[in-house]
Order: sequence, then C-alpha cells, then structure tokens
Amino acid sequence: MPSFPTRPLGRRAFAGGLAAAISLPALVGCGEKKPQIRVYNWDTYIGPTTLEDFTKSTGTEVRYDLFADNAELFAKLREGNPGYDVIVPSNDTVERMIRSDMLLPIDRARIPNFANLEQAFQDAAFDKGRKFTVPYFWGTVGIGYRKSKVPTPPTSWAAIFDNPSMKGRISVLGEPAQLIGIAAKYLGYSINVRDPEQIKAAEDLLIKAKPTFLTIAGDDGQDRLLRGEVDLCMEHSGDILQVMKEDSDLAFALPKEGGLLWQDCLAIPKGAPNVEGAHAFIDFILRPDVHAAIAATIRYPLPNAAAKKLMQPDYLNDPAIYPPADALARSETETYPGEAVQRLYDETLTRLRAA
Amino acid sequence: MRLTLPLKLVLAAALLVLYAPIAVLIAFSFNSGRRVSVWQGFSFDWYVRAASDARLLEAFGNSLAIAAMATVVATLLGTATAIALWRFAFRGKPLLFGLLGVPVVVPEICLGVALLAVFARTGLMTALPYPASLLPIALAHVAFAFPFVAIVVRARLAGFDPRLIEASRDLGAGEWATLTRVLLPLLRPAMVAGALLAFTLSLDDFVITFFTTGPGTTTFPVLVYSMVRFSVTPEINAASTVLIAVTLALAALAYRFQKPTP
Amino acid sequence: MNESWHRYRAAFLALLGPGLATLGLAIVLPMALMLALSFGEQRGLVQVAITGTLANYARALEPLYLGVVAQSVWISLATTVLTLAIAYPVALAIALAPPPRRDLLLLLVVLPFWTNLLVRTYALIIVLSPTGLLYTPTAVVLSLVYVSLPFAVLPLYAQLERLDRRLLEASRDLGASAWTTFRRVMLPLTAPGLAAAAVLVFVPTLGSFLQSDLLGGAGTQMIGNVIERQFKSANDWPFGSALSFLLVYATAGVVALASLARARRR
Repeated sequence: MPSFPTRPLGRRAFAGGLAAAISLPALVGCGEKKPQIRVYNWDTYIGPTTLEDFTKSTGTEVRYDLFADNAELFAKLREGNPGYDVIVPSNDTVERMIRSDMLLPIDRARIPNFANLEQAFQDAAFDKGRKFTVPYFWGTVGIGYRKSKVPTPPTSWAAIFDNPSMKGRISVLGEPAQLIGIAAKYLGYSINVRDPEQIKAAEDLLIKAKPTFLTIAGDDGQDRLLRGEVDLCMEHSGDILQVMKEDSDLAFALPKEGGLLWQDCLAIPKGAPNVEGAHAFIDFILRPDVHAAIAATIRYPLPNAAAKKLMQPDYLNDPAIYPPADALARSETETYPGEAVQRLYDETLTRLRAA
Repeated sequence: MRLTLPLKLVLAAALLVLYAPIAVLIAFSFNSGRRVSVWQGFSFDWYVRAASDARLLEAFGNSLAIAAMATVVATLLGTATAIALWRFAFRGKPLLFGLLGVPVVVPEICLGVALLAVFARTGLMTALPYPASLLPIALAHVAFAFPFVAIVVRARLAGFDPRLIEASRDLGAGEWATLTRVLLPLLRPAMVAGALLAFTLSLDDFVITFFTTGPGTTTFPVLVYSMVRFSVTPEINAASTVLIAVTLALAALAYRFQKPTP
Repeated sequence: MNESWHRYRAAFLALLGPGLATLGLAIVLPMALMLALSFGEQRGLVQVAITGTLANYARALEPLYLGVVAQSVWISLATTVLTLAIAYPVALAIALAPPPRRDLLLLLVVLPFWTNLLVRTYALIIVLSPTGLLYTPTAVVLSLVYVSLPFAVLPLYAQLERLDRRLLEASRDLGASAWTTFRRVMLPLTAPGLAAAAVLVFVPTLGSFLQSDLLGGAGTQMIGNVIERQFKSANDWPFGSALSFLLVYATAGVVALASLARARRR
C-alpha cells in the first residue's frame, strides 16, 4: 500500500497540468469532441487508475468532480441535473431521489456484470428490485477510539452516550438522523426511530451526555481523534480506517447493539447527457478486477462476490473492514423518514446544540 | 497627524496576528504526513503533487479567471452605482439603497440556493460550453461583490464637496472629462479598497459558487471543500503558499517600479 | 449632492443602468423566488406549494429559534466591536503611511484571505489550540474577527485616507487633548466609514456557520447553522427562506430606525 491514497488524476503528466494552469480557460476553448461522461463522486473513493482504464477500454473520457455530503448532492440536483451522468448517493438519499423522480431506471441488459454482485446486494429495501441503482461500497458507523486512552475496547454505545468520565473527550456526528437514530438504537429502539416519544427519549439521552461531547458537527471526528482532541468518536468505519494507517494507537469497533449500516450506490440522474456512457461506466466498475482494485485502495467492504475472490486475506479478515457477523446482524440501514419526522430530527438537533 | 510609533506598533501587531495562521499554513505545506495539523517531517512532496494535479490546477485557473472578471466588473459597477446614488435625486433611491444591501444581509446559502433555482430553471447551468460556462458563476460573483464596492465608495463620497463637480463643469469639462479627470482620481483609494474586497470575496467564496457550478466548472474553494471528508491534505497548503509567494513577488515588483509620486 | 436626473439623463442611465440590471437579474429575481418560498408549504420532497401561509415565520419566532438568534447577535456584536477596535488604528496607520506604501499595506492586509478559508481555519485551530480557548464561543468570536478584519479595514481606510488632517491639527492647537480630538473631531468625521464597516462585519457574521461548526464545540450554535441545515440535511427550503428573510427584515428595521433617529436629531 502506498502511504498516500492516490488521487485519480494525480498521476497525469506534469506537462498536461502545467498547460491547464497556464492557459486561461478562455484559451483552452473547444477541442476535439470525444465522447465524455461526467461522474460526481466522493473524494478518495476510487482506484488510482480506474478512470484512465475506463477511457482506455471504451474511448470515453471521464470528467470527474467531487461532492462532500449527501445533503449537498441532493440540494444540487433538486432543481434539475446540471449535467452529471453518474452520481454516488447513499441509501437514504437514493430513497429520497427515487421519491422525487430524480433518477433514471437502469437498463439491466446493459449491465452484464450485475451478476457478479452478492445475492444480498442484488436487491435493496430502499430500491426495490434495484431498478435505479447498483451498489458501489458499503460500511458501518461505529466507534473510533484511541487504544492508550480507552484501555478496554468499547463494546457498547454506552462508551459514547453514558461515559461521564470522558468529559469533552468524545465527538459525535452532526447529521441529525444519524445521531438521533444511533442514540435510539442504544436505548433499544430502531435506528429508524419515528415515534415522537422515543425521539424525545433519545434527545434526553443526548442532552445528558452533552458535557462529554467536544463537538456535535460535521463528519470529521477522525481528524479530532488523530489530533488527540478526543479519545472516542462516532464515525464511519472507512474514515477511521484511513487514520488507523497513520496512527497505530487508533482502532474501530462496532458496538454489540449494532451500528448504522450504509451503502453507497451508483445511479444515473435524470437529464444525464450521456446515458449510454453512464451504463458502460457502471458496468465497468462492477467488473471483478476493477471493483477489486478500487477496494484495495479505499479498503471499504465490497458488495461484489467475484471481486472479493480476488482480494488478499489481510483485507478480507480485517475486523475493521468486515465487522463481526453478530454485531453486523443487529445493525440497521437508515431509511427516509418523511418530511414531518425529518423536521422533528432537525429541531431535536437545534435543541441539543442550544441546550 | 503623523504615523506615530504606537500606530506603527498596532499595525505591526495586527499584521503579526493576521499572518500567524498563514505561517502555520505554510509550515504544513512542507509536512511529509498527509495532514494539515499533525507534523510528521519535512518534505517538498506536496509541491510536486500540487504541480502535477490536473484537477487542482484547473480549479485554480477557474478561480482566478472568475475572480479577475468579477473584480473588474464589480469595481466598475459598484463605483458607477455609488456615484449615481450620490449625484442624483430620483424616486426609489431609498429602495435601491435597500436592494444594494440585500447581498450583504442575506445569508450566503440562501442566495446560493436562490441562484441555483434560477440558473437551473433557465438552463443557464448547462447551456454553455466550457470556458463560457464560467460566465454565469462570474455573474453571480459580480452580483454579490459589487454592492460591497458601492458601500465602500459611497462612504468616501459621503460629505464630498459637490462644488468640485460644478467647478469642473464651469471650466468647460464635459461629463466624461469630469468623471475621469475629477471624480475617479479622488475615488481611487476607495476603488482600490473595493477592488481588493471584491477579489477577496470572489476568490474565497464557497457557498454561492458551490450552488452555481456544474460539471467542469469546479473552483478552488469548491474543490477543497469537497475534500473535507477525508480532511484536507497539505497539497492545498502548498498551492496556497505558491499563490501568496507569487502575489507578494508581483506586488514587490510593482512597488519597486512604481513612479515616485511627487 | 442632488442633481435632477432628468437634466443628465444619459449620464444617469449610464451610471445606474448596468448595476440595476445586475441587481435585478442576479439578486432581485432569485430572492423574490425565495421570498415566495418563505410563504409556502412543503408538499413532498421537492414540491413547495405557495399558499401564503405564515407558518414558517411563526415557527421561526418560537423561543427555540429566538434563543439561537440571541446567541448569534451576542457573538456578532462582540465580533463587530472587537473588529472595529482593531481595524480603526490599522486603517489609520495605513492611511498615514507614505502614499506608495499604502496600496502595498492594503494588499498585505487582504493577502491572507486569498488562501482557502477552510485551510486557514484549520491553521487558526492550530494557533488557538495552546490557548485552551478552542471549542468555546470565545474561539468563534476570535475566528470571526480574523475573517472580518479586511471588511472593516478597507472601508475605514477609504474614509480615513481623505480625512482633512488640518482639522485635527486645529483641534490640537486649540488645546484639545488627543482623546478629545479623536472623540469630538475624528470620530464624527469618519462616522460614515465606521458605519459601513460595522454593517459589513455585523451582518455577514450573523449568518455565518463555518466558524461555529469548526471551532464552537458542542455548545455554540448560530442562526447560520440552523439556516444551513434547512437548505441541506433538513431539506426544508420554505423554513430556511423564512429564517433568512427574518434576518433581512431585522437588519432593514435597524437601519431604518437608525436613519429615523438621525433625522430626528437634526
């Protein structure tokens, strides 16, 4: 493993980059018209040569842009597709997008590599019959921690929600549905908590635990963990895996109550200029060698059975990547709660931060 | 009144405070680790990476092009608007003054979403090919930056002696000559301040730009923000350091070759 | 100065037309849309029915949100006072510097802001971390002062640069102390610049969210955070618009009151 996760375009010839920098956009102008697809993905979420390999094998160029979170992706596409062909929303956002009629159905006939997927991933509760999406990677939200400061590995969410000795040493996610859902999970309710009384119980728990929270914001708990500002954090497994490579004192655990399961999907937004190219790209990603090469770089769990066969044991047996089966079985996938509950979540977060 | 020692000290202290984070930023551009907060050793690697990262360079180019266009247009518009507000009596003046305040007052994200709605519904975001597709973004930047220029210029015009204009006219100068020979030279410091403000606003704007960019028009702040999930790497620090160094070098050159003012 | 625009129609239109067109196209039109939304009801995920309801405003005036507004106003006021206190002598020092050096000094003041806001904020976190102030409202105020400084220095400089220094000398010659000269002569003369600077600092600070998110810790929340969430994770654009327009109405109200008070005094 290289110590830097390589950025896809990073390896392009120096001359190309220099030319792009010097020539003001006005001078670049229109070049020859090669077929192109525009992919909108998360940062550091692709293999080092994936995009170049795709261009080599199909002749279609890839214009690659990045977004930072699902809410941004949804907001940006809400008023119409500004020109993307392939996007990578997470499960609950997929559900919202299907309900808002923002996605094009995927033509399965053009995705022969769909058969490579594990049986469990060939259907999804948030996209019945997989009409609109194809799974890309999945993961969990659990607990990241510093081993020297937390001698006994946390096995329960109590480490986050009921740990008064850790005053100001914990950070939690600021996304309302996730924070409240996981608090509800600790209380024995569903992650998809809808009952106002149960939401209130989760709020009370969070308010009581607030003195132990250094921050309730964003998705950068792994940074605070690495900097030593906190010793425990609620975070995505992949984020913690990234910092574990830099600091061997860090670790990840999925609590026994179960965590939050998420799944990022490939989808084609309505109004995509190059639907054919989008299908070709999705099929290319599901090719065993391609999907495996991406997994080797980003080290997230694969939904692709054929690709998994190509992976090394150190990846397949890493409990931080593939958590223990029992905790996994108790984990839940977030579903879209509807506007009224969404509003309740948001107000709860406002109250919590104001408390 | 002169530039006394206490004032000089305040200026020096303020610059020191302003540049303390910048010094940290520059220091971490030489970090061998991939964080901007945990020091792991000295290296030039991030400069090499920044120089060969096509996406970073393109975003940088887009940002500079948009900021350059937005600054020129916003400075001209802001100055013209401020002069008109100062010079003429007309109905609806308080209303116009209020409207000028809107981009300052409205939270950026609200204006960003509003522009997204208009741009997306009119097809403005997808209609134009690449270099031209930067123009709607530049327009958005002009719209939120020029009121800032107008406010700065108007503050300088307030209480200005209007007889200067009359004197100029009495001496036979036309509209154009009065504007370029009398008003603009007097307004120059405010215009410089306004232009710097506009450039700064445009170059560092993330929120409004995010909502008005489509595929291929990513700017530097939008790119940096999208990298937040796995935290920003020192590559951005390296790019920022180069920008500071180049600006300082150009400014120093300009200062050196500036004609001594009589 | 108040010339009739009828007499100089061409000059008037040339000066005002382009600005007016830009405002209309890129500010008034989009914001009118948001104003309409603020009187609307969310119907499903992306549909908003404009029903003329006042429910969004009623919700915005609930104690929960007023409390958040109060904390924001407090933080913004502290930021404005501190920023102006630093910016005034800095702008004065630049205005008093030899002319060729002024532009260079101005450039030095804005240059830090040409680096990226996010990277700069991370650097500020490192600078502040030994002070123990991180993740408190104080850290938020300090970081907001930092980002607001050019917005105060530049308009103050534009004003101070044309200050007639003979007036100050006359005041001193007549026996006024330095403090009296500052308070009775300089401050009134530079009031327009000071007002412009105060507005340019206070108002954007009120709607800011990044600083309170990154440096504020669990206990700091500004109305900007709430507004941001409405347009993103909460996906409630009508409520977000109503909150935004309440800021507009409140600012307009304060400005109107101030000008009324000024008119009364005359």
